Amino acid sequence: MKHNDLEKNTISYGLSLAVTSLFSALLVVLKELCDHSVLVWMSKATGHHWMTHGIIDVVLFVALGWFLGTLNGGHGVNISAEKFIKTVVGSVVISGLIIVGFYMVDMLAG
Amino acid sequence: MIKFADVALMTHATFGMLCIIASVWVFVDTLNASRGNVVRIKLMSRAVAGFMWLAFLVGGYWYVTYYYADKALILKGPWPFAHHLVMETKEHLVIMLLLLTTFLPIAASGNLVANKSARNVVLWVVGLIILTGMLMEGSGAIIGMGVKLAVLPK
Repeated sequence: MKHNDLEKNTISYGLSLAVTSLFSALLVVLKELCDHSVLVWMSKATGHHWMTHGIIDVVLFVALGWFLGTLNGGHGVNISAEKFIKTVVGSVVISGLIIVGFYMVDMLAG
Repeated sequence: MIKFADVALMTHATFGMLCIIASVWVFVDTLNASRGNVVRIKLMSRAVAGFMWLAFLVGGYWYVTYYYADKALILKGPWPFAHHLVMETKEHLVIMLLLLTTFLPIAASGNLVANKSARNVVLWVVGLIILTGMLMEGSGAIIGMGVKLAVLPK
Protein backbone atom coordinates (compact mmCIF):
# COMPACT_ATOMS: atom_id res chain seq x y z
CA MET A 1 0.00 0.00 0.00
CA LYS A 2 1.35 3.44 -0.91
CA HIS A 3 0.74 6.83 0.73
CA ASN A 4 1.60 9.95 -1.24
CA ASP A 5 4.30 8.21 -3.25
CA LEU A 6 6.01 6.43 -0.35
CA GLU A 7 5.65 2.81 0.76
CA LYS A 8 3.87 2.06 4.03
CA ASN A 9 6.98 0.51 5.61
CA THR A 10 9.12 3.48 4.60
CA ILE A 11 6.75 5.87 6.36
CA SER A 12 6.15 3.63 9.39
CA TYR A 13 9.79 2.87 10.13
CA GLY A 14 10.94 6.35 9.10
CA LEU A 15 8.61 7.97 11.61
CA SER A 16 9.67 5.35 14.14
CA LEU A 17 13.28 6.39 13.48
CA ALA A 18 12.35 10.03 14.09
CA VAL A 19 10.61 9.26 17.39
CA THR A 20 13.28 6.79 18.56
CA SER A 21 16.09 9.27 17.82
CA LEU A 22 14.46 11.95 19.94
CA PHE A 23 13.65 9.44 22.67
CA SER A 24 17.25 8.23 22.67
CA ALA A 25 18.62 11.77 22.97
CA LEU A 26 16.25 12.56 25.84
CA LEU A 27 17.17 9.25 27.52
CA VAL A 28 20.84 10.33 27.38
CA VAL A 29 19.97 13.53 29.25
CA LEU A 30 17.70 11.70 31.71
CA LYS A 31 20.17 8.97 32.62
CA GLU A 32 23.05 11.42 33.03
CA LEU A 33 21.01 13.78 35.21
CA CYS A 34 19.54 10.89 37.24
CA ASP A 35 22.80 8.98 37.63
CA HIS A 36 21.75 7.55 41.01
CA SER A 37 18.50 6.09 39.75
CA VAL A 38 18.00 5.75 35.97
CA LEU A 39 21.68 5.21 35.16
CA VAL A 40 22.05 2.65 37.96
CA TRP A 41 18.96 0.76 36.79
CA MET A 42 20.17 0.78 33.20
CA SER A 43 23.59 -0.45 34.29
CA LYS A 44 22.12 -3.28 36.35
CA ALA A 45 19.64 -4.35 33.66
CA THR A 46 22.28 -5.68 31.22
CA GLY A 47 25.60 -5.03 32.94
CA HIS A 48 26.22 -1.74 31.14
CA HIS A 49 23.96 1.31 30.74
CA TRP A 50 25.00 1.71 27.10
CA MET A 51 23.89 -1.84 26.24
CA THR A 52 20.53 -1.23 27.89
CA HIS A 53 20.23 2.06 26.01
CA GLY A 54 20.93 0.36 22.67
CA ILE A 55 18.52 -2.51 23.32
CA ILE A 56 15.71 -0.12 24.35
CA ASP A 57 16.25 1.96 21.21
CA VAL A 58 16.29 -1.01 18.82
CA VAL A 59 13.21 -2.60 20.41
CA LEU A 60 11.36 0.74 20.34
CA PHE A 61 12.32 1.31 16.69
CA VAL A 62 11.06 -2.11 15.59
CA ALA A 63 7.90 -2.11 17.76
CA LEU A 64 6.88 1.45 16.90
CA GLY A 65 7.55 0.91 13.20
CA TRP A 66 5.34 -2.17 13.25
CA PHE A 67 2.62 -0.36 15.27
CA LEU A 68 2.52 2.68 12.97
CA GLY A 69 2.04 0.32 10.04
CA THR A 70 -1.11 -1.08 11.61
CA LEU A 71 -2.83 2.32 11.93
CA ASN A 72 -5.65 3.40 9.61
CA GLY A 73 -6.87 -0.14 9.15
CA GLY A 74 -3.41 -1.43 8.26
CA HIS A 75 -2.71 1.34 5.74
CA GLY A 76 -0.29 3.15 8.03
CA VAL A 77 0.22 6.86 8.61
CA ASN A 78 -0.84 9.26 5.87
CA ILE A 79 1.81 11.95 5.41
CA SER A 80 3.25 13.77 2.41
CA ALA A 81 6.74 12.82 1.22
CA GLU A 82 8.04 16.35 1.82
CA LYS A 83 6.72 16.50 5.37
CA PHE A 84 8.00 12.99 6.02
CA ILE A 85 11.56 13.87 4.95
CA LYS A 86 11.51 17.09 7.01
CA THR A 87 10.29 15.14 10.05
CA VAL A 88 12.92 12.40 9.82
CA VAL A 89 15.89 14.65 8.97
CA GLY A 90 14.83 17.32 11.47
CA SER A 91 14.43 14.78 14.24
CA VAL A 92 17.80 13.16 13.62
CA VAL A 93 19.60 16.52 13.46
CA ILE A 94 17.87 17.86 16.59
CA SER A 95 18.58 14.60 18.44
CA GLY A 96 22.26 14.85 17.54
CA LEU A 97 22.39 18.46 18.69
CA ILE A 98 20.73 17.56 22.00
CA ILE A 99 23.40 14.92 22.66
CA VAL A 100 26.36 17.08 21.60
CA GLY A 101 24.93 20.13 23.40
CA PHE A 102 24.31 18.23 26.62
CA TYR A 103 27.84 16.84 26.84
CA MET A 104 29.31 20.20 25.82
CA VAL A 105 27.45 21.98 28.63
CA ASP A 106 28.21 19.12 31.04
CA MET A 107 31.93 19.36 30.26
CA LEU A 108 32.07 23.15 30.49
CA ALA A 109 30.18 23.05 33.79
CA GLY A 110 32.85 20.71 35.10
CA MET B 1 52.26 -9.49 19.81
CA ILE B 2 48.95 -7.99 18.70
CA LYS B 3 46.32 -8.06 21.45
CA PHE B 4 42.75 -9.19 20.83
CA ALA B 5 41.51 -5.81 22.05
CA ASP B 6 43.52 -4.07 19.32
CA VAL B 7 42.23 -6.46 16.65
CA ALA B 8 38.67 -5.80 17.82
CA LEU B 9 39.21 -2.03 17.74
CA MET B 10 40.69 -2.06 14.23
CA THR B 11 37.94 -4.41 13.04
CA HIS B 12 35.39 -1.94 14.40
CA ALA B 13 37.01 0.97 12.52
CA THR B 14 37.31 -1.11 9.33
CA PHE B 15 33.65 -2.10 9.30
CA GLY B 16 32.78 1.54 9.97
CA MET B 17 34.81 2.64 6.98
CA LEU B 18 33.25 -0.07 4.79
CA CYS B 19 29.85 1.22 5.89
CA ILE B 20 30.77 4.74 4.75
CA ILE B 21 32.16 3.51 1.42
CA ALA B 22 29.03 1.46 0.76
CA SER B 23 26.91 4.48 1.71
CA VAL B 24 28.69 6.69 -0.81
CA TRP B 25 28.07 3.95 -3.38
CA VAL B 26 24.35 3.98 -2.58
CA PHE B 27 24.25 7.79 -2.74
CA VAL B 28 25.87 7.98 -6.18
CA ASP B 29 23.87 5.06 -7.57
CA THR B 30 20.62 6.57 -6.27
CA LEU B 31 21.41 9.90 -7.96
CA ASN B 32 21.56 7.89 -11.18
CA ALA B 33 18.87 5.31 -10.36
CA SER B 34 17.79 3.21 -13.33
CA ARG B 35 16.62 -0.29 -14.13
CA GLY B 36 20.28 -1.20 -14.56
CA ASN B 37 21.42 -0.35 -11.02
CA VAL B 38 18.32 -0.58 -8.83
CA VAL B 39 19.09 -4.14 -7.71
CA ARG B 40 22.61 -3.03 -6.81
CA ILE B 41 21.23 -0.10 -4.77
CA LYS B 42 19.05 -2.47 -2.75
CA LEU B 43 21.96 -4.90 -2.21
CA MET B 44 24.38 -2.14 -1.21
CA SER B 45 21.78 -0.68 1.16
CA ARG B 46 21.72 -4.03 2.93
CA ALA B 47 25.52 -4.04 2.93
CA VAL B 48 25.48 -0.62 4.63
CA ALA B 49 23.23 -2.01 7.36
CA GLY B 50 25.30 -5.20 7.64
CA PHE B 51 28.63 -3.37 7.94
CA MET B 52 27.15 -0.98 10.51
CA TRP B 53 25.74 -3.78 12.65
CA LEU B 54 29.14 -5.53 12.58
CA ALA B 55 30.93 -2.26 13.45
CA PHE B 56 28.40 -1.65 16.24
CA LEU B 57 28.63 -5.12 17.77
CA VAL B 58 32.43 -5.36 17.61
CA GLY B 59 32.87 -1.77 18.79
CA GLY B 60 30.28 -2.26 21.51
CA TYR B 61 32.09 -5.36 22.78
CA TRP B 62 35.38 -3.44 22.83
CA TYR B 63 33.73 -0.47 24.55
CA VAL B 64 32.13 -2.40 27.42
CA THR B 65 35.11 -4.76 27.83
CA TYR B 66 38.29 -2.74 27.25
CA TYR B 67 37.56 1.00 27.12
CA TYR B 68 37.77 1.53 30.88
CA ALA B 69 41.59 1.33 30.69
CA ASP B 70 41.81 3.89 27.88
CA LYS B 71 39.29 6.09 29.68
CA ALA B 72 41.48 6.18 32.79
CA LEU B 73 44.48 7.20 30.68
CA ILE B 74 42.55 9.88 28.78
CA LEU B 75 41.24 11.45 31.99
CA LYS B 76 44.77 11.72 33.39
CA GLY B 77 46.16 13.12 30.13
CA PRO B 78 46.08 16.56 28.48
CA TRP B 79 42.93 15.81 26.43
CA PRO B 80 40.22 14.80 28.95
CA PHE B 81 37.62 16.19 26.54
CA ALA B 82 38.41 13.16 24.33
CA HIS B 83 36.29 11.21 26.83
CA HIS B 84 34.01 13.81 28.43
CA LEU B 85 32.80 15.23 25.13
CA VAL B 86 33.95 13.07 22.22
CA MET B 87 33.49 9.51 23.49
CA GLU B 88 30.32 10.31 25.44
CA THR B 89 28.83 11.85 22.29
CA LYS B 90 30.13 9.10 19.98
CA GLU B 91 28.76 6.22 22.04
CA HIS B 92 25.24 7.69 21.86
CA LEU B 93 25.24 9.10 18.32
CA VAL B 94 26.31 5.70 17.06
CA ILE B 95 23.00 4.20 18.21
CA MET B 96 21.22 6.76 16.02
CA LEU B 97 23.54 5.83 13.15
CA LEU B 98 22.66 2.16 13.70
CA LEU B 99 18.95 2.98 13.35
CA LEU B 100 19.57 5.10 10.23
CA THR B 101 21.46 2.26 8.55
CA THR B 102 18.81 -0.26 9.61
CA PHE B 103 16.15 1.98 8.04
CA LEU B 104 18.10 2.41 4.78
CA PRO B 105 17.20 -0.98 3.20
CA ILE B 106 13.54 -0.32 4.05
CA ALA B 107 13.69 3.10 2.34
CA ALA B 108 15.53 1.58 -0.62
CA SER B 109 12.85 -1.09 -1.09
CA GLY B 110 10.56 1.45 -2.82
CA ASN B 111 10.33 2.04 -6.55
CA LEU B 112 13.47 4.16 -6.91
CA VAL B 113 13.41 4.24 -10.70
CA ALA B 114 9.96 5.80 -11.10
CA ASN B 115 9.44 7.49 -7.73
CA LYS B 116 11.37 10.71 -7.07
CA SER B 117 10.08 10.94 -3.49
CA ALA B 118 11.43 7.47 -2.72
CA ARG B 119 14.82 8.48 -4.18
CA ASN B 120 14.85 11.67 -2.09
CA VAL B 121 14.22 9.70 1.11
CA VAL B 122 17.14 7.38 0.31
CA LEU B 123 19.41 10.33 -0.56
CA TRP B 124 18.62 12.17 2.69
CA VAL B 125 19.01 9.06 4.84
CA VAL B 126 22.24 7.92 3.22
CA GLY B 127 23.54 11.51 3.31
CA LEU B 128 22.98 11.56 7.08
CA ILE B 129 24.70 8.17 7.34
CA ILE B 130 27.77 9.42 5.47
CA LEU B 131 28.08 12.60 7.55
CA THR B 132 27.48 10.84 10.87
CA GLY B 133 29.79 7.99 9.88
CA MET B 134 32.62 10.41 9.08
CA LEU B 135 31.96 12.13 12.41
CA MET B 136 32.29 8.74 14.13
CA GLU B 137 35.59 7.98 12.37
CA GLY B 138 36.95 11.42 13.27
CA SER B 139 35.81 10.97 16.87
CA GLY B 140 37.64 7.64 17.03
CA ALA B 141 40.82 9.39 15.89
CA ILE B 142 40.46 12.07 18.59
CA ILE B 143 39.88 9.42 21.28
CA GLY B 144 42.95 7.52 20.08
CA MET B 145 44.96 10.75 20.18
CA GLY B 146 43.70 11.35 23.72
CA VAL B 147 45.18 8.01 24.77
CA LYS B 148 48.41 8.60 22.84
CA LEU B 149 49.02 12.03 24.37
CA ALA B 150 48.35 10.62 27.83
CA VAL B 151 51.10 8.00 27.55
CA LEU B 152 53.73 10.16 25.81
CA PRO B 153 56.61 11.31 28.05
CA LYS B 154 56.02 14.85 29.30
